[in-house]
Amino acid sequence: MKRERDLGKAETAAAGKMKIWGEGQPQADAGTDELFAVLGYKVKSSDMADVANKLEQLEMAMVTTMEDGISHLSTDTIHYNPSDLSGWVESLLSELNSTGNFDVLPQRIGVPGESSSNLIGFSNDMPIQQNRKVIYDYDLRAIPGGAICSNGNDEENPSQEPDSGTKRLRSSPGSEFLDNASLAAARPVVLVDSQETGVRLVHTLMACAEAVQRDDMKLADALVKHVGVLAVSQVGAMRKVATYFAEALARRIYKIYPQDSLESSYSDVLQMHFYESCPYLKFAHFTANQAILEAFAGANRVHVIDFSLKQGMQWPALMQALALRPGGPPEFRLTGIGPPQPDNTDTLQQVGWKLAQLAETIGVEFKFRGFVANSLADLDASMLDIKPNNVEAVAVNSVFELHRLLARPGGIDKVLNSINAMNPKIVTIVEEEATHNGNVFLDRFNESLHFYSTMFDSLESSGLTQPNSEDLVMTEVYLGRQICNVVACEGPDRIERHETLCQWRGRMNSAGFDPVHLGSNAFKQASMLLALFAGGDGYRVEEKDGSLMLGWHTRPLIATSAWQLKSPE
Amino acid sequence: MAKFCINDNVDVLIEVLKRLDDRSLGVAACVCKTWCSLTRNDSFWEHMCFRQLSPPPEGVRAVVVALGGYRRLYICCVKPVREVREFNRVWTRHEMELSLSLFCVDYYERVLLGGGGGSGGGRLGSDSAASASLMLLCKAVNV
Repeated sequence: MKRERDLGKAETAAAGKMKIWGEGQPQADAGTDELFAVLGYKVKSSDMADVANKLEQLEMAMVTTMEDGISHLSTDTIHYNPSDLSGWVESLLSELNSTGNFDVLPQRIGVPGESSSNLIGFSNDMPIQQNRKVIYDYDLRAIPGGAICSNGNDEENPSQEPDSGTKRLRSSPGSEFLDNASLAAARPVVLVDSQETGVRLVHTLMACAEAVQRDDMKLADALVKHVGVLAVSQVGAMRKVATYFAEALARRIYKIYPQDSLESSYSDVLQMHFYESCPYLKFAHFTANQAILEAFAGANRVHVIDFSLKQGMQWPALMQALALRPGGPPEFRLTGIGPPQPDNTDTLQQVGWKLAQLAETIGVEFKFRGFVANSLADLDASMLDIKPNNVEAVAVNSVFELHRLLARPGGIDKVLNSINAMNPKIVTIVEEEATHNGNVFLDRFNESLHFYSTMFDSLESSGLTQPNSEDLVMTEVYLGRQICNVVACEGPDRIERHETLCQWRGRMNSAGFDPVHLGSNAFKQASMLLALFAGGDGYRVEEKDGSLMLGWHTRPLIATSAWQLKSPE
Repeated sequence: MAKFCINDNVDVLIEVLKRLDDRSLGVAACVCKTWCSLTRNDSFWEHMCFRQLSPPPEGVRAVVVALGGYRRLYICCVKPVREVREFNRVWTRHEMELSLSLFCVDYYERVLLGGGGGSGGGRLGSDSAASASLMLLCKAVNV
């Protein structure tokens, strides 16, 4: 039996114990210790040596301290992560060093509803006695899971024999001790089992953001490290989101701002992966195209101005729809706008060329013009060779571009005026549905935490791609860069200034635009498109005052809206 | 009296094959060379795509052929879209339009972007390999 084997080796050094633990490695999940796993704690085997070392030190400290103890540990301890034995022990050690006191930790497993106690632990039947080797007997009944056995941490007393039938645990389960009273301000929660560490993680993130908001960088620093530790114990979406947010917070705390956006070709590649791994961009393209198609009905010459051409993925579908429309295709002119390339390659022309080839294949007359601009505000309508309304129908299309203009004062107004001057038949705007542009950092943080958690969740659950496939990973990087920008940057560098549809409505209204209802065709097509995606049942298309929103479960994430110039009174 | 041989009456054969479901079609294609070549004929696949749709709009054939043919359209787009809807449900214009749009995107990515814009890398070779953005649709086995 494993237990006996472990007890028998109680006197071996921690390193020796490593082998025992190592032998019991489960095959799953990054080599967590099996014995701990049975108890509900995930400790990586790579961390075991560290944990064991610390426990040994702790034991030394414990047996040499006074009885009267650190009873305050039992009330102040906030258990964030039961699997973080290392961190817990370290905090205990530091506490011991400072107080020199120690007490047994009379603890019960916290149950929901106990709001004051922030503990998790085991009931302890035996009092500690001064200068005696300590035995902890814990009632492990409440731990979910099967066999309970000694975790072999029993280092303190090599010569002691276990009582038959008692299970000995050298240490109580990891309780994270945070040595700052202000943490009491963080919502105290009671951990019942390790699934709730996710909640802990979120609360720690929020506490860290609060600290940053108050400019308490020392605390924030401690907390952000803590988040990193906690995040490791999670899996899946929660882990990734927490890691990205922790990194962004760290950047903000240490003022290591991410260098100004990477090469645009890299960000294009990232967006392509985003395009392929989840339906958001496809939804955006298809719904916008439907609006444009309907606006172009009956026009013989059409001109589309795309505010961010990238790889031009939106336009093949529109061109095909135009090619097959009753009465034949119109002459199609596309103006693509893009950022300057660092190596001076003319990506815009390349994309234009490819679209031209497609157009030729399907029999649509096609012209292309590319404009390189650092910011949309640098352009104005006169550069774009706009033809009069009766000659050519104009559509302006912006997918995830307008919010960047909010970083500089006056940018958005200038652009909206330019759009006005272009005299468009229709303006299609797709934006993220979130308030990431508030003035208060903390609000932005909380908002973006919810938003990106939902996004990552949808990636995780969609089942579209294999986990860690290139698409998924790159998509996460893509989203991670946005997170970093929202959290860590300020001023003109903070370009991911997402606003909600309501806010955009207000702006468009004051800029002289009236909403155009996206018809039922767009809705049907969008619903069908989503049904095609595995996990399509998690995605929701909602119609709101004529605009369409795509969300994950109950949370809308992106919104497509269409606009036309206000008719003159 | 001459025996009736189905292979002498190709039009009848086509009518029969048109009504088969995909798996049976795959089996049918293995029967003999005649049947096999029939099932590879693109006009056969045109029937499969528009099975329940009244005459397809003009110009569709030219576009579809240019973008890769009806067989590819069926495999890459029509079939997955149909699978989401019930199989024998009436195939509507909307579904056809969506399939065609997806087909066009597929062509663009596959032929023009060459998979370089995305992670097309792992998917080699066969003419049924779909572009990256359609891989989510392609659970189908090559018919």
